[in-house]
Amino acid sequence: MRDDPMAHALPWLKPALGRLPEKPVVLRVSGLTKWFGDVCVLDRVDFEMREGEVVGLIGPGGAGKTVFVKICCGLMDPDGGQIEILGENLLELKEKQRQRLRERIGLVFQNYALFDFMTVGDNVAFPMKQRGGATLAEIEAKVQERLTEVDLPKVRHLMPNELSGGMKKRVGLARANINDPELIFFDDPTAGLDPVTSSKIFNLIRKTQAHRNSTCLVISHDIDRMRPACDRYILLYEARVHFAGTEAEAMAATDPIVREFFRKEAGLK
Amino acid sequence: MNPIAAVGRMFLSVSDTVGGITLTLARILRAASRLRFDRDETWLNLYKVGVKSYPIVIMTAIFTGAIMVIQSGQYVKQTGATGLLGWGAGYAVLAEVGPVLIGLMFSGRVGANNTAELGTMKVTEQIDALRALAIDPMQHLVVPRFLAMVVMLLLLTALGDLFALVGGALTSQFILDVDWRVFFNGVFNSQLLDEYLVGLTKGVTFGASISVVSCFYGLGVSGGAAGVGRAVNNCVVTSAIGIFVWDYIITYLAN
Repeated sequence: MRDDPMAHALPWLKPALGRLPEKPVVLRVSGLTKWFGDVCVLDRVDFEMREGEVVGLIGPGGAGKTVFVKICCGLMDPDGGQIEILGENLLELKEKQRQRLRERIGLVFQNYALFDFMTVGDNVAFPMKQRGGATLAEIEAKVQERLTEVDLPKVRHLMPNELSGGMKKRVGLARANINDPELIFFDDPTAGLDPVTSSKIFNLIRKTQAHRNSTCLVISHDIDRMRPACDRYILLYEARVHFAGTEAEAMAATDPIVREFFRKEAGLK
Repeated sequence: MNPIAAVGRMFLSVSDTVGGITLTLARILRAASRLRFDRDETWLNLYKVGVKSYPIVIMTAIFTGAIMVIQSGQYVKQTGATGLLGWGAGYAVLAEVGPVLIGLMFSGRVGANNTAELGTMKVTEQIDALRALAIDPMQHLVVPRFLAMVVMLLLLTALGDLFALVGGALTSQFILDVDWRVFFNGVFNSQLLDEYLVGLTKGVTFGASISVVSCFYGLGVSGGAAGVGRAVNNCVVTSAIGIFVWDYIITYLAN
């Protein structure tokens, strides 16, 4: 976890730091509600993320984490609530305007969602080609740069079905990053991966975030390994935000559910 | 089950399908009217849909022409009216049997494939990935397929007509001993241009119908591999029904 700059500040410096302007809000969700038939998946969820933050979204399976991310990307409509994303009120936007907004957002899917009829290179290049305004040479160079960043410099001519799960995740990461998005959602980027590859993926998320100062929301169950990547955590439990705070706050919490999630994952009894 | 409830349920199901197909058509036309569809994808689909369908269409057409000639052959032989052989076969093939059979072959080969492809993309979240990457699936995936199917079924129908007549001429020459020139004279002297144009109109309409139906079922898939299978099945059945309904409407209007 990254240190909170306030935590180690000298006592006389704290008031001065406190007066510094806060970073702008990138994502603000209020009263978000989603029903599937009779099942409430999100119940009046409130949440906020500021520029440059990496937030871990955790919770048991079926808690509504993926639905939350899909709603924030405008891929699914909620039944209630408000979403302010990158300064726009998402729910008031028409599809064309949402499309323009999505150019500033990246999404890495849980099941990769690579286009299986394209090579790896074409998959990564695709969003940039579609956006236009870049020459073929520029696109080629950027694709190579992004694939090198994810440690896959030599796979651009392979098809997705020739890659392992971890490699597909990294290609998804390269694709989501190709247009330098301001906000990136990672939907369980380490699902089904071995511990070593999981750690690599989280390190990669932290590295790319630090490099571009993007804001990231990472869904995962693997709290232990996501620790180096995340600044703070949100725990979704029974369709609501059960906890929001730093790891230190979670470890100090008396709430049994929060303790169970964080302390068990951290290997503490 | 209560029979009235069953009828009501069936009515709702049909209304749901027809409404969904109509909305899909409206969305395709709106997206196509912006003229911002993916050109690479359109070329690729023209190739996949058209060039790869030539062999099966030619085979179907040759046998269709041949069968028409054999069917009318015994009456022609009995009456000696060999000049009518070209007219009979030409009339049936150009206006009716050719476009319908080619349309059915096309729906089985191309429509089913299209539904399976889009359906698989849907269940593997590739459609969502397109949207997340700020790409409109309608403009990138659906409009190119629609244009490719309309254009290619028109061309395949024209090609099929030609090969059906060749098949008919060969059959009349080698099976019925009626000279192929007599057969073609019968075709060209019968002024079948109207029937030919009606047949081509059917080709365009069937192409549009098959593409809209296959995209509707493909984009509506849910429930994994089983869902894709169901969608393909529904696509083939609905496309066939669509072909016969449109065939009836165009034939009625043309007469």
